Amino acid sequence: MASQGTTTLDRFLTSLAEIVRDRDGAKLQDFLQIEPPLPDVYGQMVAELRQQYPNGSPKEADLLLRCEGLVPKSKGSSAWTSFPTFMKLYFSFLRDVNVGNLLETYNLLKVLLNQCVIALGDSQFGIVVLPTVLYLSKVLAKLAMGLDRQPELIAHLLRLEAGSDQDETAEKVTLVEKSANVVREAFIKCLTDRSGTPGVHGKPEGKRVGIYLMANLCLKLLFQCGKLRNAEQMFASITAQSPPLKYFPASQRVTYLYYLGRYLFSNNLFFPAQIALQSAYNQCHHQAISQKRLILTYLISCNIILGRFPSRQLLQLPESEGIADKYIPVCQLIIRGDYIAFREHLTVNSSTTEWFARKGVLLPLRNRCEILVWRSFARKVFIHGGFLGDPQNQAQRGPPPFLYLNKLEAAVRWLQAQHSSSPPMIPFATSLAASAEKFQFGSQVVSIAPDLDFAYIDGPVANGTAPDASILSKYADYLCPDSFFDATGQRQSNPTKTLVDGSPDADYSQYELNPYANGITQEAEKTSPLMREIESILASLLTQGLMRGYLTHRNPRFAIPGARLRGALPTGFPNVWQTIYARESEDTGVPGWVQPPAIMAAPAGLAGGGRVVNLAGARPVGVQ
Amino acid sequence: MSNNQSQDSKAAEASQQTQQQKPTILEEDDEFEDFPVDDWPENETEQAAGATANGKDLHLWEESWDDDDAAEDFSKQLKEELKKVDSSR
Repeated sequence: MASQGTTTLDRFLTSLAEIVRDRDGAKLQDFLQIEPPLPDVYGQMVAELRQQYPNGSPKEADLLLRCEGLVPKSKGSSAWTSFPTFMKLYFSFLRDVNVGNLLETYNLLKVLLNQCVIALGDSQFGIVVLPTVLYLSKVLAKLAMGLDRQPELIAHLLRLEAGSDQDETAEKVTLVEKSANVVREAFIKCLTDRSGTPGVHGKPEGKRVGIYLMANLCLKLLFQCGKLRNAEQMFASITAQSPPLKYFPASQRVTYLYYLGRYLFSNNLFFPAQIALQSAYNQCHHQAISQKRLILTYLISCNIILGRFPSRQLLQLPESEGIADKYIPVCQLIIRGDYIAFREHLTVNSSTTEWFARKGVLLPLRNRCEILVWRSFARKVFIHGGFLGDPQNQAQRGPPPFLYLNKLEAAVRWLQAQHSSSPPMIPFATSLAASAEKFQFGSQVVSIAPDLDFAYIDGPVANGTAPDASILSKYADYLCPDSFFDATGQRQSNPTKTLVDGSPDADYSQYELNPYANGITQEAEKTSPLMREIESILASLLTQGLMRGYLTHRNPRFAIPGARLRGALPTGFPNVWQTIYARESEDTGVPGWVQPPAIMAAPAGLAGGGRVVNLAGARPVGVQ
Repeated sequence: MSNNQSQDSKAAEASQQTQQQKPTILEEDDEFEDFPVDDWPENETEQAAGATANGKDLHLWEESWDDDDAAEDFSKQLKEELKKVDSSR
């Protein structure tokens, strides 16, 4: 069916037909190049295509006809019709692509990949295009992520597009997320291959070899666009249908465990995240420094939160370069127990936090480690100000070791005074400690600058006066809206723009607005708000098992009973990692990580009863 | 998938050479790069390399980090401060 003036295209098609007949997926991918600079022969082919099959001409149907010749026709089975359509799109892409317009290039490429994924779905031939799907996915991902980083390249084009399609209510989907959605389709095609043995008893055969290649690419895109929640279904599908991870090549295992670990970390599942990331680190190629460094960033964060600090040896490794100096101060501050310095170190706008924030570990570190700082602080106050038990009188029954909490209260006030002399931090920690307890609202242990929008609630309220002009100028749409609903639910218009709820500073002194007003006993009034806050922090430490003993509320004390054998410190302040490990290690399974099924030894003489059947790989009937 | 074992090891050698040539500088890019090779044997993993480097497993994590050094500045000041509480009672 050779046409005149298409010698290069003719040869190309002949070779393709052979490749498809031989089912040589790798060679097919090698032939279907799209990324410039392309070899000269592609330039010749593009010239022929433009000459013989111009865009929009009726001759395009002939091109499709020629592509249909590529698919072997066998009796009894349906032809692989999606492949010729894909090939036709491939030739159109080569012919029409204009890399001067990157948005158009992206859209053409996405359509091309979409069709290739459809071709992948064929149960007989689909696997032939798997390498091509991966290749096109990678090019699409690279383009989308590149444009994501340099949005100015296509900003003018996106504006034009938005102008024609103005739907403000529709959620804006970024190019990266769109790409992730296409790649996910390819992932599903790989995962649901019906040939061979599916699930946990299966091996990476057929299209299943692509499960983690596609999953990893999709995860990379989802992390880039911040749509981690979309990954949840992927992990669930993998758990339900994938062969064990260990049968896949090392690069795929390590990459997958890295993303899985980061996903679990983002979901506050630090212990399984630590298992996945440690395994990723262990299995990583020892010369892959940049990958090891990224794994370590999250692995170290996990371990610090779980109470384990990076060793000096670890921090001296080449992959720790550039991250060691970030984590050492954090560990030192936890050990020292200065909770105000810890907060200041990880405050917004400090130069150190920018790095943690970019890595996505700032908030977990700040929120999860502060309790460890408090443990260190309480421990030091106990050492220097507590009753550690009478070593002379060990055999006798004496009072258990204890700490008067007023000592801790004094230590907190001392720490606050220490920090009030240092220059205030902005804006999270403005005079962090200086004016604690002057605030009627919020924490007593730290004073956080109130939200500017509510700043005036601490100020004196002049009853009955109209709100400040500056408040009105900011909140007029809220305080004096065009219309409102009255007590009966009827809509009332407000043409004069009056304050619909009356003056916000109205006098309510005849009403009791404190919901706890009647519950306050005389005893509670004797306790300072600071002491109440310290008690609740210690109660939290006790609940988490990071301190052991009990609190007395009347004459506030922390007591450590049963300390005679091991001593007050190891009993009252047990090792953090060992405490968390003992609690968490009951379940070492990592969701999303498919392990080979446990081999069940059937002991001789045990028939029927008592046998445990592993149903981990079982699927409900009818589910693909 | 298109790589067979011999290609892998050749590619591994090539990639190791380029990796050794590259100076270890911190890249600002936070992207997890593709590995230059698809697969590698157990003895090229971090775990195996770390173990052979010093004859035993590398000690990665400190479980016991509580600071009992009373001479350390913060502890010393805290101790002085707590003495004042006692004497003022």
